[in-house]
Amino acid sequence: MEHFIETIGRNMFAIFGVLALVGALLMIGARSAIHSVLGFLFAMLNIAGCFLALEAEFLGVAQILVYAGGIVVLFLFVVMLVEMSKKHEGEVFQLQSRYAVLAVAGGVALFLGVFRKAIFGASSPEALVLRPELAKGLDVAHQNAQAVSRGLFADYLLPFEILSVILLVALVGAVVLAKTERV
Amino acid sequence: MVSLNAVLVISFLLFSIGIAGVLIRRNALIILMCVELMLNAANLNFIAFARHSGSVSGQAFALLVMGFAAAEVAVGLALVVALYRRRDTVQVDDINLLKG
Repeated sequence: MEHFIETIGRNMFAIFGVLALVGALLMIGARSAIHSVLGFLFAMLNIAGCFLALEAEFLGVAQILVYAGGIVVLFLFVVMLVEMSKKHEGEVFQLQSRYAVLAVAGGVALFLGVFRKAIFGASSPEALVLRPELAKGLDVAHQNAQAVSRGLFADYLLPFEILSVILLVALVGAVVLAKTERV
Repeated sequence: MVSLNAVLVISFLLFSIGIAGVLIRRNALIILMCVELMLNAANLNFIAFARHSGSVSGQAFALLVMGFAAAEVAVGLALVVALYRRRDTVQVDDINLLKG
């Protein structure tokens, strides 16, 4: 039993990653939009788990807050507004679905074939561990939020400010786009 | 420990699923969700390489990408709502005003 738990603890990233893939497949395969949103929520929560397994704690929690708390709720609101009428039952998938799936599967096979040796071969590089000499001064492993804030507000202050302007423009744009004709 | 290759393969597969979803679905809402999924795959790569190189820049940029994704969702959903109001549909196949 303890051995089992230890195995799970060591393979946390793989478990979360495979569950995220399952959620993504549910999302693109579901017939109704509500089920797609639920699959999206499942995928986002598992990606947050992947972030936590990669020891990006702040980003994992931010992922849960932003996606599960904000974006999924927005999507659910719009589904509720838009998908109430059932008159557009129709076909769910595009006409070119078969070719699109074939093309994407071909791309995946090509990628895995080209990088097969690098990914699965014996020469694949060492495990992803923090190299302490590179993280000097930024104690990434122990105080993740502090380290991220130093990166965000010291090294990347200009992109951060640009992002705030983008958010403002998006806010105004969304209001303008979604408001009714007569004010 | 997590190997870098495992992260890259998972993120590549997530990105592929996102592309497949954009190509095969008719519902504009689900297409938007697939775009979000692709942005998240890119975030996963950012974090993996930040971990690999021991610097925190990748994590800071992943946070910026997350904010950008939020802005994109706001505008995209506003477009979907405006479209529904005007044409009474969210199926991308029904939007063919520019078709000759």
